[in-house]
Amino acid sequence: MNDIFQNLVNICGKKNASNNLDILKTYSEDCSFVSGKIPISVVWPKNSKQIEEILKLANSIGFSVIPTSSSSNVRYHGDTLPKKDNTVILNLSKMKNIVSIDRKNRVVMVEPGVTFGELIPKLKEKGLRLLLPLHPESDKSVLTSALKREPITIPRYHWDSSDPLLCTEVVFGTGDLFRTGTAAGPGTIKQQQKRGAAQVNPMGPTHFSPYRVIQGAQGSIGVVTWATVKLELLPTVQKVIHLQSENLQDLLDVQQILLKYRYADEIVILQNLNLACLVKIESTQILELSNSLAKWNLIYVLSGRGKFANDKISYQENDINDLIQELKKDNLNNNSPINEKDILTALKEPTAFPWRSRLKGAYQDIFFITNFERISEFVSIVEKMAQKNLGTYIQALNQGTSYYCEFDLFYDPGDESAIPDIKQNFMDISSKLIEAGAFFNRPYSLWAKEVFANHSEETITALKKVKKIFDPNNILNPGVLCFDD
Amino acid sequence: MLDKDILKEFQDVVGPEFIDDGDVMTNIYAYNWCTEFVNYMEGKEPIPFSSVPKAVILPSTTEEVQKIVQLCNKYKIKFKAQSTGLGPWNQPSTDNSIILDLRRMNKIVKIDEKNLYAVVESYVSGAQLQAEAMKYGLTVHMPGAGPMASPLASHTSMAGPGFTSPQTGHSARNVLGVEWVLPDGNILRLGSLGQKNNPDWFIGDGPGPSLRGIMRGWVGAKSGIGVFTKVGIKLFPYPTDTKFVMTGHAPLYNFEKPDYIRAYVFDCKSWKGLEKIMLRVEEEEVGFIVSHISGLAVMAIFSYSIEGLMDKMALGVLKNPLLVVMGARTKREFDYKQMVMEDILTEYDLENIVDTKYVPEKVFYAECLRANLGYHGFIATGGFQSAKGQADAAALCLRAEKTNIPLKQKYIKKEAIANDFGEGAWMTSYEGGHFFHMESPTMFNQSDLKSVKGMANYMDESNKQDLIKHLGAPFFIEGDKLHDEWGPHMMNYHNWLRKIKAAFDPNGVADSGFYITAKKEGENK
Repeated sequence: MNDIFQNLVNICGKKNASNNLDILKTYSEDCSFVSGKIPISVVWPKNSKQIEEILKLANSIGFSVIPTSSSSNVRYHGDTLPKKDNTVILNLSKMKNIVSIDRKNRVVMVEPGVTFGELIPKLKEKGLRLLLPLHPESDKSVLTSALKREPITIPRYHWDSSDPLLCTEVVFGTGDLFRTGTAAGPGTIKQQQKRGAAQVNPMGPTHFSPYRVIQGAQGSIGVVTWATVKLELLPTVQKVIHLQSENLQDLLDVQQILLKYRYADEIVILQNLNLACLVKIESTQILELSNSLAKWNLIYVLSGRGKFANDKISYQENDINDLIQELKKDNLNNNSPINEKDILTALKEPTAFPWRSRLKGAYQDIFFITNFERISEFVSIVEKMAQKNLGTYIQALNQGTSYYCEFDLFYDPGDESAIPDIKQNFMDISSKLIEAGAFFNRPYSLWAKEVFANHSEETITALKKVKKIFDPNNILNPGVLCFDD
Repeated sequence: MLDKDILKEFQDVVGPEFIDDGDVMTNIYAYNWCTEFVNYMEGKEPIPFSSVPKAVILPSTTEEVQKIVQLCNKYKIKFKAQSTGLGPWNQPSTDNSIILDLRRMNKIVKIDEKNLYAVVESYVSGAQLQAEAMKYGLTVHMPGAGPMASPLASHTSMAGPGFTSPQTGHSARNVLGVEWVLPDGNILRLGSLGQKNNPDWFIGDGPGPSLRGIMRGWVGAKSGIGVFTKVGIKLFPYPTDTKFVMTGHAPLYNFEKPDYIRAYVFDCKSWKGLEKIMLRVEEEEVGFIVSHISGLAVMAIFSYSIEGLMDKMALGVLKNPLLVVMGARTKREFDYKQMVMEDILTEYDLENIVDTKYVPEKVFYAECLRANLGYHGFIATGGFQSAKGQADAAALCLRAEKTNIPLKQKYIKKEAIANDFGEGAWMTSYEGGHFFHMESPTMFNQSDLKSVKGMANYMDESNKQDLIKHLGAPFFIEGDKLHDEWGPHMMNYHNWLRKIKAAFDPNGVADSGFYITAKKEGENK
């Protein structure tokens, strides 16, 4: 163990490696119900060269490596908790370069330590915006969010389930450096850029797209050292429409029309408690607002830019109203008690106060993907099993071809006696949903076994083949997904 | 021909009427468009025939495909699958092969109006699917190859740029659930389709990593990684109203132009101006076609015969033309988009030649809506093929185009390829201008040896130029020779690709002439 630590010190320097037990212990737990082992060291590399050396060392002397990017100790879902002895945490939070912001090509190149809180203001200065997950935490890594395939709130700019991730530089489990998409070359990044390239095509090189197998792999295939991330132009005028109904299907039908004709930018459906959590901080305010709202809320934002901004919003609003009338849904309540600015803040800005923790101080989220027809059925399953302190968030994805459903179980982390029941409830609901065919496409620790047991053998075999190619010695985050062997 | 006992086993799978190993049929299947110059590039005789397959087999179900692939593994015979079959990529690279012609797998499995996607089998054409999708106000992304090509082939196995790419993206990025017979005979169902409970087609990624990453890249494996039997693909809003009234005869059909459609062709006058204006048009999200084409290509897209092409010399003088076609569902939308375009024209002092200097035939608008502009490339010589095919930022594509002009002119001077002043190019944006692609359509005479050789040499030199000048990888970097040439300059990607091939095709039965082999033949010996 000392040998490993000394080697890590030799690679990254004394200041960038630690075997202090108090520090190490913080990596053995997170906000999930998973308990991890205490890692043997944590190391903070500064560049891809150091990461290559660490992974080659891991292959040669045999230790596991778990990449993380968060500078805070707040982590979720158990995916970065050591499951094996002899684990080194590769903390990428010191790789904080915003390598380039390219207004012309609407793309940013960032290292893994760059957070939403740091990047969003810099982009705003250039009239640009990220494709954001719903009100992300300020200290969350932009790159990790994209690698996790976290849902973004603008379905019409979600051209592929991989968006907004574009090209990456990655060190595979073998310790080999690679660049995906057009970043692969020919030529170095500088040489490519000299010719006008901007690393905006994620596909390839040639007949394969390795970025797709890195994404969603929970750090078990490769360590990404930078990525290009898709941007959009910042609107100059925005109009928020908030429709309320006690009937979820009414709002789903209206949303479907928006998706079909690619109207509106941000589109989200939130149950009253979750919407209140999103725009209020204090629990009393949250409950007060929640009680004043209908159970289901569809929020969509019309955006315009430049001298015809208002014309664009106007034509879209009128066209949408016609369609809603055709659907005979024009009786929906469109009087919002929420300030438009507060909604836009939640949709456009990061937050220092995680919105899912605002009501009770803690939460466990259950999320999966499904189709239009089955959303109400899954809502009904969960509502029967969790009658209180439940938040629901529905996000259309990928041009409206699928839907992300998230159920948040809110609880008081100080009430230790209640936690076993919460955990049991979390597991029971998850199992019921998996059994009913909810597609847990991001199967984190507590779900993985059951999700893969309910998935085809051929998929598992294929995934294991891929793992064997890029991480043959299983050094990267062993034990996640179906990579138990 | 197949050994009699082996033939019998294949016959038992599909029935004797759906397999033929006779000389006539197998030789017919050895022909394909552009095979002659590909042969020449590979050091073979420049004839339009590939290796002759041992047999041609026509399965009708996924299970039959699976059994055929299993037999191929048993007898170490390579298979080459084809659907609508356009081009040399459908051809076997060895005579120890059979062709799987998937034409009997021709069903639209479903059009899911609510979830905005369709599921199709291999032999459904783009036109066929679009006609059905239009009933719901929807359309499908079709590649530059045209509406007669198979969307399944384009989405899973080929390249994927199309004329409507600004609003329908790239084939590879529109893939949802996939049913895939792997080279070892197992059936892999991607994403939500692989679930044991309630499988469905709505997403092709996960659980965990997306196996779409090994299925294809910027280009597909062209049957080198198995056979795709069904695919879920996104549908997009049809750009105008879906009334499609056409009468008369080919090629100049009478077409009732939809109410809200308008075309713009203008000269951006410089490369810089072209880049700037193309990006600007895309930022405004007004066009369902935003294509830069050369002056000669402007002449071609408005022509329906060689004489018609020659008549339009006046249009050929445009230096840096941009074609924008906008459509709208409502008058409000149409007025808004026109207002934005007029503003751009005024700001950059541009003159729209459509309906001022030239009034297109109405059928031109049908071709825009049906993504059928590509066929005009055949008018001049009857044969064309594209060099290049790189995709990244607009500036890279334009540099690749500019750099190619002197090279092309060299071959024009040699009278090997048709004279387009060296400028022949098509460049489109994707996904509202997030990335771009350019290719250099080049016209040649497929029946003239000098022209065929010239075309092959030009392609080869163009590839080398792109490599040396770091202009991105063209889309026809395929086969062992080219991968071995390019791989070392591109992070040694070829080594990783070979590992994938070895892991998923242990017996090397999926024909890899247009993909990569796990090991080169020489190494096996």
